Amino acid sequence: MSDPTGPATPLPDPDDPLALAEYAPGGAVALTDAERWPTLDAAGAARLNGVARHPLAPAWVHRTGDRLTADGVARAQAPLPVDDWLAEHLVTARKLPAYRRVAATLGDLTSWPTVTREDLLDDISAFVPLDADLDRMIEGSSSGTTGRALQIPDDIEEVARSFHLLVRLVAGQGIDWRPDPARMALAYVVHQRQAFTYTSVISSFGQAAMARLNLHPSQWPAAGQRTGFLLAQQPQVITGNPTSLAELLHPELVAGLRPLALFSGAMALSLGLRRDLERAYGCPVIDVYGLHETRPIAVSADGGPFVILDRRVHVEVLDAAGAPVAPGQRGEIVVTAGENPLLPLVRYRTGDFGRLVDVAGRPALADLEGREATRFVALDGTLVPSVDLTQQLQAGGARGWAVRQGVDGSVTATVVGGDAGLIGAAIGRLLARPVTVTTVATLLDLGEGKPRRYESLAPGA
Amino acid sequence: MAEGPVPFWRRLTNSAGLRDPDISETATNATPFSPPADRVSRPAGAPEPAETMVVDSEALLDIWFAREQDDVIVWRSCLPGASVAEIATRLSLVPAAFLADDVAVLQLAENILEIEYGASGTTSPDRRRQEVLRIVDQVRATGSGAARRGAALVLWLWASDDLNGPLSVPLSPVWHGRAMAALSFRLAAVVDPAEWVRDADRRDEAARTFLLWSGHLPAGEDEATARSILAMRDSLQQNTALAQTMADHEHRLQVTKRLQEARAREAAARYSNE
Repeated sequence: MSDPTGPATPLPDPDDPLALAEYAPGGAVALTDAERWPTLDAAGAARLNGVARHPLAPAWVHRTGDRLTADGVARAQAPLPVDDWLAEHLVTARKLPAYRRVAATLGDLTSWPTVTREDLLDDISAFVPLDADLDRMIEGSSSGTTGRALQIPDDIEEVARSFHLLVRLVAGQGIDWRPDPARMALAYVVHQRQAFTYTSVISSFGQAAMARLNLHPSQWPAAGQRTGFLLAQQPQVITGNPTSLAELLHPELVAGLRPLALFSGAMALSLGLRRDLERAYGCPVIDVYGLHETRPIAVSADGGPFVILDRRVHVEVLDAAGAPVAPGQRGEIVVTAGENPLLPLVRYRTGDFGRLVDVAGRPALADLEGREATRFVALDGTLVPSVDLTQQLQAGGARGWAVRQGVDGSVTATVVGGDAGLIGAAIGRLLARPVTVTTVATLLDLGEGKPRRYESLAPGA
Repeated sequence: MAEGPVPFWRRLTNSAGLRDPDISETATNATPFSPPADRVSRPAGAPEPAETMVVDSEALLDIWFAREQDDVIVWRSCLPGASVAEIATRLSLVPAAFLADDVAVLQLAENILEIEYGASGTTSPDRRRQEVLRIVDQVRATGSGAARRGAALVLWLWASDDLNGPLSVPLSPVWHGRAMAALSFRLAAVVDPAEWVRDADRRDEAARTFLLWSGHLPAGEDEATARSILAMRDSLQQNTALAQTMADHEHRLQVTKRLQEARAREAAARYSNE
């Protein structure tokens, strides 16, 4: 199949001072289709082509596959066994370079030191097993809303397996989600100024089509294009974050879409938005709590506590000194994660806070904090999601930041590292407001723990 | 070349603290030559070093690893050079004064590099000279006697043409900094430089290490042969604890490289926000 995404050496839009080269169409096209979808058959290719070349399709930024081999397809469909996984996990982790000098002191889980995002930023390789199969490595960038980007070694099969976790979670709601050749299986929607977008087929799900779509109006120049495309694809399941899912409340989408389920992630889903989505679509809205580093940790299908997933994940809640808090007490969520074979984490401090409670005999996280969805108000009243600011802050070289908008709309940014002038100009253009940027020396100067990196008190935010 | 020993020594001894220029007193026949207590030489296969020594060695290795040298690339870019025997002979002829504790290695380097590169200026050779001097200053700053003696031996190898005639294949000054770092931080971390002079196997190892990081294959050897022999000799690989440190370093290089390649190559499809 020919490549519809354009040249492989992109330039950012010369007319857009905020455009970043990596989001230019075709910016990361490097593989052949045979490498992207090793098992792709004629029917799958036709489905892929039908989405990629749909007359209302957006300009795809990427051409991206799941790279699953035939063996990989089979492995991705089955969850990893969880019997005694933690003991095996600790054996693996003990051999990591990160623990070499203290391995003799490491016993059961509670004897292990905690690990922070800074530790991973400092040397991610120390947390990758020496015998890891690096041929299966893909790069995942955790841009986060919380600090400088972290390059994460992701495993091709684990990423593919995460799709089947969604299938099982839908099944848990009593819904049988099977490939439907007439519909797109999954639409992963974002709403931000610039984003990677692509369409693919899910090799382990009947080669059904999926797409990552940017719902931002700038990506859909023709009137009715966005609605027309989504209605034509009729995605069975839609995943996104609160900002992008809120876009689904447009009446024409509500009237035409028939999703089996919606998934929210990355940021806190307010109860109000949850109820609006449930009412609009009459389907489950499943909120997934997880970090790129740890993979999905817990889910809430009803707006209550997040039930810890029955997979290779173990959750503790610790106090500031690293000691377990009393049952039910608030503390930092610390996760031991064994789904990604390229990044077996032990006691990873998420920077999020909550309480460990019991829900129908299963551990769950209540009062989860740390995933606040923040939007800023531009001078013309436009709402700008914080991820747009994150992109510019990172492009300007900042390693950490706190951006706050006052009640009067004024914006101040405190940054660690980077070019303050460049950052101020970029955010200023984004919000059409002057931005005051001050520089501090260290992340600690931003505040302890995981401070709220974004805050907007502006009316309407 | 062809200058007499006195002018040579006069130039070197200027402020460097070298002792009496008795060039007949080489390190191999000077007795006794006692390595400082913190750097006891240890043959391969001997018992594990004490923790303090490991820490000291690891500190030197950390400096070396921070340079992120990829030996695969270095091997591939090597050109035929002098023989191992030539370099080893030069090592065995090092005047004992070079390895004395009171030698000011930075000043010694300045003197020798002036001979190698000429007077200072803004030219490319001068930048290389500055690079070497920065490395020698790092050596000095570590306070490690082993690193200092390693640096002094490298300086001797560069300067010895004056006394012993030119090598059969001249060294390229382009890689002087790299060679200085390799011997001072990598090799000196695991084998006391006194052993490079005294012990035939360690001398062979030092000569091969010097040639490699100077950008040369030993005369008469192809890459595979040279790699194989140096791998057998490599004290770092034979020291279990430190080999682990080296394996970690190579792993770091590998993961970093693969992550960059993966980023440049293309993402894979994902299904939800995380």
